[in-house]
Amino acid sequence: MHDVKTDAALDSAWSGGASPFAMGSKKLGMWLFIVSDTLTFSALLITYTYSRITNPDWPKPFPMNPAIIFSTTMTVVLLASSLTMVMAVMAAQRNDRKKTVLWMIATMAGGLTFMALHLREWFHLFEEGATITHNPWGTPLFGAVFFGVTGMHMTHVLIGVIYLGIVATGYGRGKFSAEDVEVNGLYWHFVDLVWMFVFPLVYLMSVKY
Amino acid sequence: MVTHENGGGHGHHQAPTGFIRKYVFSIDHKVIGIQYLCLALFSVFVGMALSALMRLHLGWPNAHWSIFKGGLMTPEQYLALMTMHGTIMVFMVLTTAPQSGFGNYFLPIQIGAADMAFPVLNMLSFWTTMVSLLVMIAAFFVAGGAPIGGWTSYPPLSALGEMAGPGQGAGETLWIIGLAIFCGASLMGALNFITTLIDLRAKGMTLGRLPLTCWTWFVTAILGLLAFGVLLAACILLLLDRVAGTSFFIPGGLVITDQVITWHKGGSPLLWQHLFWFFGHPEVYIAILPGMGVASHLLSTFSRKPVFGYRAMVGAICGIGFLGFCVWGHHMFISGMSPYSAFAFSILTMTIGVPSAIKTFNWLGTLWGGKITFNCAMLFALGFVSLFVSGGLSGLFLAQPALDLYLHDGYFVVAHFHLIMGVAAIFGMFAGLYFWFPKMFGRFLNEGIGKLHFWLTFIGVYAIFMPMHFLGLAGHPRRYFDTTAVEFLQKLQPVHVFISIAAFITIGAQLIFLFNFFYSLYAGKECKEENPWHATTLEWSIPTPPPFDNFAGVEPVVYHGPYEFSVPGAADDYIPQHLAPNLVKKA
Amino acid sequence: MNDHAHAEEAHAGASVGTNLAIWIGLVAITGLEVFLAYEELQPTLMLTILIGLSLVKAAMIMSYFMHLKFERFSLVLWLVPAMIFCIAMMMIFFFTEAYWGMGLRPH
Repeated sequence: MHDVKTDAALDSAWSGGASPFAMGSKKLGMWLFIVSDTLTFSALLITYTYSRITNPDWPKPFPMNPAIIFSTTMTVVLLASSLTMVMAVMAAQRNDRKKTVLWMIATMAGGLTFMALHLREWFHLFEEGATITHNPWGTPLFGAVFFGVTGMHMTHVLIGVIYLGIVATGYGRGKFSAEDVEVNGLYWHFVDLVWMFVFPLVYLMSVKY
Repeated sequence: MVTHENGGGHGHHQAPTGFIRKYVFSIDHKVIGIQYLCLALFSVFVGMALSALMRLHLGWPNAHWSIFKGGLMTPEQYLALMTMHGTIMVFMVLTTAPQSGFGNYFLPIQIGAADMAFPVLNMLSFWTTMVSLLVMIAAFFVAGGAPIGGWTSYPPLSALGEMAGPGQGAGETLWIIGLAIFCGASLMGALNFITTLIDLRAKGMTLGRLPLTCWTWFVTAILGLLAFGVLLAACILLLLDRVAGTSFFIPGGLVITDQVITWHKGGSPLLWQHLFWFFGHPEVYIAILPGMGVASHLLSTFSRKPVFGYRAMVGAICGIGFLGFCVWGHHMFISGMSPYSAFAFSILTMTIGVPSAIKTFNWLGTLWGGKITFNCAMLFALGFVSLFVSGGLSGLFLAQPALDLYLHDGYFVVAHFHLIMGVAAIFGMFAGLYFWFPKMFGRFLNEGIGKLHFWLTFIGVYAIFMPMHFLGLAGHPRRYFDTTAVEFLQKLQPVHVFISIAAFITIGAQLIFLFNFFYSLYAGKECKEENPWHATTLEWSIPTPPPFDNFAGVEPVVYHGPYEFSVPGAADDYIPQHLAPNLVKKA
Repeated sequence: MNDHAHAEEAHAGASVGTNLAIWIGLVAITGLEVFLAYEELQPTLMLTILIGLSLVKAAMIMSYFMHLKFERFSLVLWLVPAMIFCIAMMMIFFFTEAYWGMGLRPH
């Protein structure tokens, strides 16, 4: 082994041989994915705003009951599932496998509840005659944006639930590490974070007074 | 999953033995790099064949050729050829070969890592790219044939389906699906590259000691990470317009071939242009940046001089990457854009001239007073500089809205982007191939055939694209199928004939290259040395061809900058990066 | 650079109590948003307030739930500015152009 201490360049966090962020590669990789996915969602939400600017007949169809009550409940459920995910990660860092899996199952339950409520909310809209191409209130783009953006988010929730299932099973059997749980948590919180923008933009900006 | 856990760390790695794990579903970054290069090689010849057919038509529009039904090409066929030529070349050649091909093979080695950070993800991203290529190629074989909307696929015609033209049916749908899959593949690749470079640099490989090739691969990956996400969103929206009947990009009141479109309204075709070019301009740099890295690397190595102004070069690479996100509007000057936006985009676009000039003058500074070896790799690197300058200068013309109003969508633009984005990037790849071929395959490419290939290609591409500038100045629009029906275009026909002949000669020269490639692969001069070029970077410190885990489980330590050539007081005219200071021989 | 320090850094984080407090804060802000939605404010003002609150929520989620507060600050510098810059560029020019395009329509 050479004496590397003589080299002044080797003292900084960026001098190689270790992660400059003092974190595992998987975590960094997930963060990078999140950056990219943020831009995908930003592009969708910017498309929404652009469409809304160029269509003055944009409808504001969401009544207090069911749409706003449902979507607020969904927001709280998703936030709660984030909290259970935090608990899962903390349990995993204590090496408490059983508790980790339980908290992850709770998180999955939260995600599934979110999806169930969201689908019910979709069906409310279908009943009123709103689909991705048509709606009784105004520009057809309303349905396109609504179902496009929430559908994309729901796809992410679904992938998240499957991802949680895989990691929970693997972690319970000792195949995955605490870092894998943490990386999974990053994804789940990101899905939650995106909803924090979708909810006010899609629902609250279109409330029927 | 065990190998996945280890990632690119040094440790015990077992080389796989079965054929499938070793060559097909390999997780070795070197095999994946070669797979990407093969994919690009296949695609480049497909793309070139398509351009040959187009040149055949443009040169002799009324001649009958037995390859077409009835002897003549139809306008739809011409547009389909043009679309697929652009798409395949941009995505499957210019995006994959320099970055995913050479980058995959050499980035881990140059930073001293055993593999990429996520080997399994790396394999997935290659096979996803492969799927995307197959889906795109499938567009040729469905009813209606390949899409006819160009590689930018502007709506509303691309969003309406079959009624907008024969290729706009199933072919266009496949095209968009292929592109969306490609976005996914590129994202996987990009985050893998970034993580690898940040986390897996060997001890002593500071950011200031990274070879410029690694810097360009790194910045390219960042561009890909940020840009492809936006394209993915755009593809999803366009796909929804086509298959779900939404109207994101389709305005109301359209009339297509005497039919009033009543079932779409409210959308904006310009939104697609914004989303597409927000991706599309960084894409241009995704294609060209790795070429810049290879050129810098080779100019230094073969002039036996350090790169002139290493820090300025790094700054210029980052500056070009940053500005790449500020200038997409210059593709849209004639879209009815607000003149205030056009002004801002114009100024920002011309600002790119600053880092580009820094790079160009630093290349010249690197060459100045050097002991230059004119081998094929160096010739192609010099050719890159030449093409970068001639292609880049016309960019300054096009950056000005007033001039662009006239030049837009004409042959001047075709000449500009082919020189700078197409041919320059391909010269960068050729330079890299002649340089790294011995390391990859243990044999040299034949220098004699290589020089013939270089001169024919170099003169050929100038003969093709220089006259196109004049076609454009004369007002010749691009994408026109019939150049004989308009009087002022008829007079330009001899230029088309000249360009077509030059194109066929240049394409012939690529067959010479193909011969050289396969001939040298099996019968070329053997390279047993580790470091035949007396180069400094880490890939030349390991056996030829490199073993499965690159450094045989030993983590290299880096003591020197990447371009320590002709250091005063040293016996050799190069000091490899891994050589401990006490082992450097004194003169 | 020693690995021991890394291990300690990785496990540092907020306590259960802090995370719970953050969660309550998030729910409270959500409640405030829903309340504001019924205040019939001017659309631009409401959009600004809602997005502002959402950014606060995003920052809370990222800092505590996603642990960013406890990572090295250089990570934040690598990830966040590039993202914000891209989003800002899109918003500046897309929306300018959307309004410009509206102005060009026949009235």
